[in-house]
Amino acid sequence: MKWFRWSSARTRRCVQLSFLVLFLAAFLATRPLPGQDPPGWAKLFFWFDPLLLVTTFVAAHALAGFALLALVTVGITLLLGRVFCGWACPLGTIHDIAGRLIHGKKSPAAANRYSPWQKAKYYVLVGMLAAGLFGAHWITIFDPLVLLFRTLTVTVFPAVQWAVEEASAAIYHADPGIGPVRVTSLTEPAYRAFRDNLRVVEKQAFLATGGIAAFFITIVALNAYRRRWWCRYVCPLGAFLGILAWRPLLRRKVASDSCTQCELCGMNCHGAATSDKAQLWRPSECLGCLNCTDACRRGSLGFRWIWPWERQENVARVDLSRRGMLASAVGGITLLGLCRATPQGRARVYNPELIRPPGARPEPDFLARCTACGLCMKVCPTGGLQPSWFEAGLEGLWTPRLVPKIGYCSYDCNRCGLVCPTEAIRPMPLEEKRQVRLGLAVFDTTRCIPYAYGRDCMVCEEHCPIPEKAIYFLEAEVTTRDGEVRRIKQPKVDPSKCIGCGVCENVCVFRDKSAIRVTSANESRHPANEAVPAWEEPYGY
Amino acid sequence: MVFASRRDFLLQSAAAAAVGTVGAQTGLSAQAGPNAPAMAIAQWKGPKAPTAQEIDRIAEQLTIKAIEAIGGISRFVRRGDVVWVKPNIAWIQPPEMAANTNPAVVATIVRLCFEAGAKQVKVGDNPVDVVDQAYERSGIPAAVRPLGAQVVIMDRSRFRRVDIKGERLKSIPIYPEVLDADLVINVPIAKHHSLATITVAMKNFMGVVEERRTFHQAIGETLTDLTRFLQPKISVVDAVRVLVARGPRGGRLEDVRMPLAIAAGTDIVALDAWAAEILGRKPEEISSVVCGHKAGLGTMDYRSLKPVEIAVA
Repeated sequence: MKWFRWSSARTRRCVQLSFLVLFLAAFLATRPLPGQDPPGWAKLFFWFDPLLLVTTFVAAHALAGFALLALVTVGITLLLGRVFCGWACPLGTIHDIAGRLIHGKKSPAAANRYSPWQKAKYYVLVGMLAAGLFGAHWITIFDPLVLLFRTLTVTVFPAVQWAVEEASAAIYHADPGIGPVRVTSLTEPAYRAFRDNLRVVEKQAFLATGGIAAFFITIVALNAYRRRWWCRYVCPLGAFLGILAWRPLLRRKVASDSCTQCELCGMNCHGAATSDKAQLWRPSECLGCLNCTDACRRGSLGFRWIWPWERQENVARVDLSRRGMLASAVGGITLLGLCRATPQGRARVYNPELIRPPGARPEPDFLARCTACGLCMKVCPTGGLQPSWFEAGLEGLWTPRLVPKIGYCSYDCNRCGLVCPTEAIRPMPLEEKRQVRLGLAVFDTTRCIPYAYGRDCMVCEEHCPIPEKAIYFLEAEVTTRDGEVRRIKQPKVDPSKCIGCGVCENVCVFRDKSAIRVTSANESRHPANEAVPAWEEPYGY
Repeated sequence: MVFASRRDFLLQSAAAAAVGTVGAQTGLSAQAGPNAPAMAIAQWKGPKAPTAQEIDRIAEQLTIKAIEAIGGISRFVRRGDVVWVKPNIAWIQPPEMAANTNPAVVATIVRLCFEAGAKQVKVGDNPVDVVDQAYERSGIPAAVRPLGAQVVIMDRSRFRRVDIKGERLKSIPIYPEVLDADLVINVPIAKHHSLATITVAMKNFMGVVEERRTFHQAIGETLTDLTRFLQPKISVVDAVRVLVARGPRGGRLEDVRMPLAIAAGTDIVALDAWAAEILGRKPEEISSVVCGHKAGLGTMDYRSLKPVEIAVA
C-alpha cells in the first residue's frame, strides 16, 4: 500500500469543505452596506433548497424566483441520489466533522446499520406537508440550511463578536506594552478589520438565543449516539431528497462472488443505508459519501449506472406504511389546529409586541412563508429584528419581530424585504416601504418627562424620521412643587403620520422601559388591528 | 466635488489680498498677532441661486476667507499636530437637506490643516442614525479621504468616562482620541432644533460624548459644562445651507435656506449668537448661548468682537 492514497472520500471531503466555506462566506457577506442593496446571492443556498420551494408552494400557493434553481437539486437527486446531503449540505459537513471528532474514522458495525426509526423523518415530512396544505410553513424552520443560517446569525456570530469586542476593548483601555511598543498597535487594526468587514451592529445581541443554541448543540451532540443522527432520523430536507432518491440512476453494486460480507463498508457508512451484513442497500438513506467503496479491500463494491426499470437484488425502497402516513397527516393537521386554535391564531386579539418587519404579509400569509432563516435579522442595520419566542404562537417560533427597545426600523433601509428568500416580507422600493405602518407609538404619560416631571425633553421628537414629524409639541402650563407656573412643551403623536418605526422608543431617556412605546396597533397589514385610523382631519364634516 | 488646487488657492489668496478684502494677511503667511480678530464672517455676494456644484465651490471659498481673516489656520495648527475635525454627521441625510455639515467646508478645513503642517487629521462624529449609513450619505468621508484625512468611527466601547466637574455633568464618557488631539476644530452646521431651538457650535460637542440622552432636560447648562471642559480654540460655523424648521433631522427641502455664509472664530458663544440671528432667532432666546455667556465662555453680543466681514463674489 502506498503511503498516500487519494481516495474518493477525500475528494468528497474537499467538496464538502468548499461548500461549507462558501456558505460561511455568503453568511458573512450578508450584511448591510451603506448605500447598497444586499447582494442577490445572499439567498444562494436557499434558492437551491427544494424543501423551501415545495413547502412555500403547498402552504402559500406561491412560487418564488428561486424555483428553477431548486429544480437543479431535484434533478441531481433523481440521477445520483442524496449526494446533496453527503457532498454539499453545510450542516451535514458539520455533523461529519463532529462525528469524526467523536468516533474517529469507523464506528462499530451495529451503530451504522439501518434502523427502522430512520423512517421517522419521512412521517414527520408527510405530517408537516399535510399541515402545509392548510397554510403551515413550520417544517422549514427545521430545514438544515435555514437552521444553520439562523444559528450562525443569532448565536455563533454574536458570540464571536462579543469575544472580539470585549477583548479588544479591554486591551484598548488597559493599553499594555513596553515603551513605544503597544499591544494595541496589533489589536486595534485587527478589531477595526472585524468591525469594517464583518460586523453589523456594535454590541449586537439577540433574544431567544438560548433555545436556538440549545437546539443546535443538541443535534450536533447527538452525533455521539449515532453519526449524522440529525440526517438519518429527523432532517426534513433529507427526507424529501430521500423520497426523490427512491430509484436513482447511480446505484451501489456488490460483486457477490468476491464479497466476504466483512461489513467494513457498513462500518464506514454515514447514512446507515445498509442492513443484513451490508448486503441490503437503501438508496433513500445513502448519502453517496463513497466511504464504502474506499473501505472495501477486495474492490467488490462500486457505484454503477443502472436504468430505473432494471430490477436489482438487494435494493430496498422506503417502506412507509399507509397507516403510518395517514396517522402522520392527521397528526400534522392536529398540531396545526393546536397552534392555531388560540385567541391570537383566530385573530380575536393582536399581540402588541408582535411588530413584524416592514412589508410583512398579514399574519396567516406571513406564517405560510416565513422559514425563520434569520436573513432579515442579519441585514437589519440597527439589530432590531429579533427572533420571536412565543409572541406569534408556537407556529411563529423564531420568526422575526421588531423589538424597538433593541433596535428601530431605519427610515433609510428596506433590506429585510430584499433578502427574504420566500417573500414573507415583500420586497419594496424605499419610498414604498416608508409608507408601511408597523404599529403606532403611544406615550406613557406616567413616565414621559414633560408630562410626569414637568421638564422639557424632546429626544423622541428629534429622532422622528418623518419629514413632517409624527411627534409634535403642544405648549402646556405646569405648576412646579414650589408653585411656580412654567410653560413646557409636551409631545404628542400624530396617528396620520406615525409609521411605528420605533426610533422614539429606542432613544427614549428611559433605558429600562420607554415612556413612548410602539405596539402593533395600526399596522398596515391588519386593517382589523387599526385603532386610530390615519385620517388627516377626523373631525371635519 | 470640485476643489481649488493649491496653485489656484495661492493665486486667489494673492488676488484677495491685493484688493484688500482680507486686509494685509494672506492665507499662508498669516501670523496671528495679539490683535488677530476673534471672529470673521464670510458672506457670498455673487449671483443668487447657485447650482449644487457652485455651492461646493462657494462653500470652499467662504471657508478659506473666513479662516484667513481670523489669522489663518496656522494660528491654530502647528507643524506635526494631530487635528480632530468635528463636523456634524448626525443623520442619514444628503448635504442638500442641511442636516449635516457641508462636505466642501469640512474638506477645505482638512486641506488647510495639512497645508499648515498637520501630521494627521482625523474626522469623526458620533452619529445619531446608523453610523456607516450616516457617514456615507453625508458625503464627508468621500470628500476628506482623498486628502489624506482619517475618517474615524467612534466605537461605543472605546469611550472613556472623564470627570469634567461641571455644574450639572460630573462625569461623562468622551471619545479619547478627541481629548488626545492637539487641536479640535469644531465645524457645526447651523440648524433649527425643536428643543434647544437651534443647534450650532456648542451643541455640536454632543457628538464626542455618550450618555447624552438626558442633556435635553437642561440643555443650556449641560452644553456649558461640556464646552467649559473641552475649551474649544476654533469653531467654523457652516451656514451655507441651514435648516430653519423640523430640525435637527430635517428631510424637507422646503425647510432649507441658503444664507451662503461661513463664520469662523475663537468665541464659541459669539458664533452661536451669530448663527441664531441667521436662523431668525435672538441670541437671548437660546439657553446654551445665555448659559455660556453667563459662565464666561464667550460673549453673546458677538458684534462687540467687531467681526471681520468679508464679501466673497
